[in-house]
Amino acid sequence: MLEVSTAYSDKFIDYQSPRRQPHPGASDLKNIISQHFLLSVPMHIRSSPTSAVNQEDRDVFISKWPEKKDPFTQADLLDSEEDQVQGLIFRIRTSISVPYRESLANKLVTLFNDAKEEDSASLGIAVGTLRNFYNFFQFHTNLKCPTISLTPEYNIYASWRAGQNRVFSVHFLPNGDARFVIFKPNDKHPERQFRIAGTATTDILKETVVPFGVWNWISE
Amino acid sequence: MKGDKIPDQHHIARFCRPMQVPDGQIQATAFMLRKDEECLSVNWLEFLNRSSRESEIAELRKIYSAKFNVGARAKLAVLNVGEVREKVLTESPDRRNLEVLHDPQYKEVYDPSHSGIYNLKQDDELIAELILETVRETYPARK
Repeated sequence: MLEVSTAYSDKFIDYQSPRRQPHPGASDLKNIISQHFLLSVPMHIRSSPTSAVNQEDRDVFISKWPEKKDPFTQADLLDSEEDQVQGLIFRIRTSISVPYRESLANKLVTLFNDAKEEDSASLGIAVGTLRNFYNFFQFHTNLKCPTISLTPEYNIYASWRAGQNRVFSVHFLPNGDARFVIFKPNDKHPERQFRIAGTATTDILKETVVPFGVWNWISE
Repeated sequence: MKGDKIPDQHHIARFCRPMQVPDGQIQATAFMLRKDEECLSVNWLEFLNRSSRESEIAELRKIYSAKFNVGARAKLAVLNVGEVREKVLTESPDRRNLEVLHDPQYKEVYDPSHSGIYNLKQDDELIAELILETVRETYPARK
């Protein structure tokens, strides 16, 4: 994503790349990944069709594998994920149709940098959660700007508040789900509070929470 | 002593990471567990036996800075034990009975007031929001 790298080169991610900063977990993950591939290759051979072309491809793949002694490191994975995070934030900044997209992107960059400042080997923001968040805002362009923070697992948590007793919070999970919480006044007993929590895929989150009147006060 | 229940009238402080304090406002994410955590880490303020809240907070700042990298925007949230327990017990859908237990740590960093809020689960967003509503005071986590 050349355009993304260029766009962020002077203002994004001011920290030392994990590639230049080895950490204890890297060799463990490398071993796990290596083991996974070494185990999966023979299984692939057994289950593949036996055409000449495929046989040749497999031979090439297998014969080349041992020569590449260090195919992945955790640093490589993190850098790759960080590229994706940058790309998604760039898309939020430039392509979603909300008036506060610049501010939203800046908030995400701040959170990312906060996480990295604490632990440079951390994810910063998990790619899956950011993709989920991006998809949500692509479909819902009339929402007020939420307060966003990160969970301990580096997932995005967005909150909308109104007055003393209205809260709608969404935890964007990396798998496309969203866990939500609603606090609102009890319609029949305004001094009491109605509270509910649930899980829905992000694409049906709106229709899931609309019956609770949430959309009336989180949208413009 | 490890496992002692902290009295309801006492207070605890929770370290809130910068990524959980956007625009200076502590969010519910500060009260969520990591995958590998059994309890929410807090510090028992009265156990420090200091003469003032400021002095308690100063002591905690020292401990935290010895334990990990404290970001500039990190904060400390002070909560009353009884209020947190009562709030969650009466307002959570499953009437969750939280326990706040002393859990002193003497490993790499001497942290004798370290304690934990127990009976939380990984997907407790609603309870995290309830705990957030009981925050009484906030302080910068570093001077």
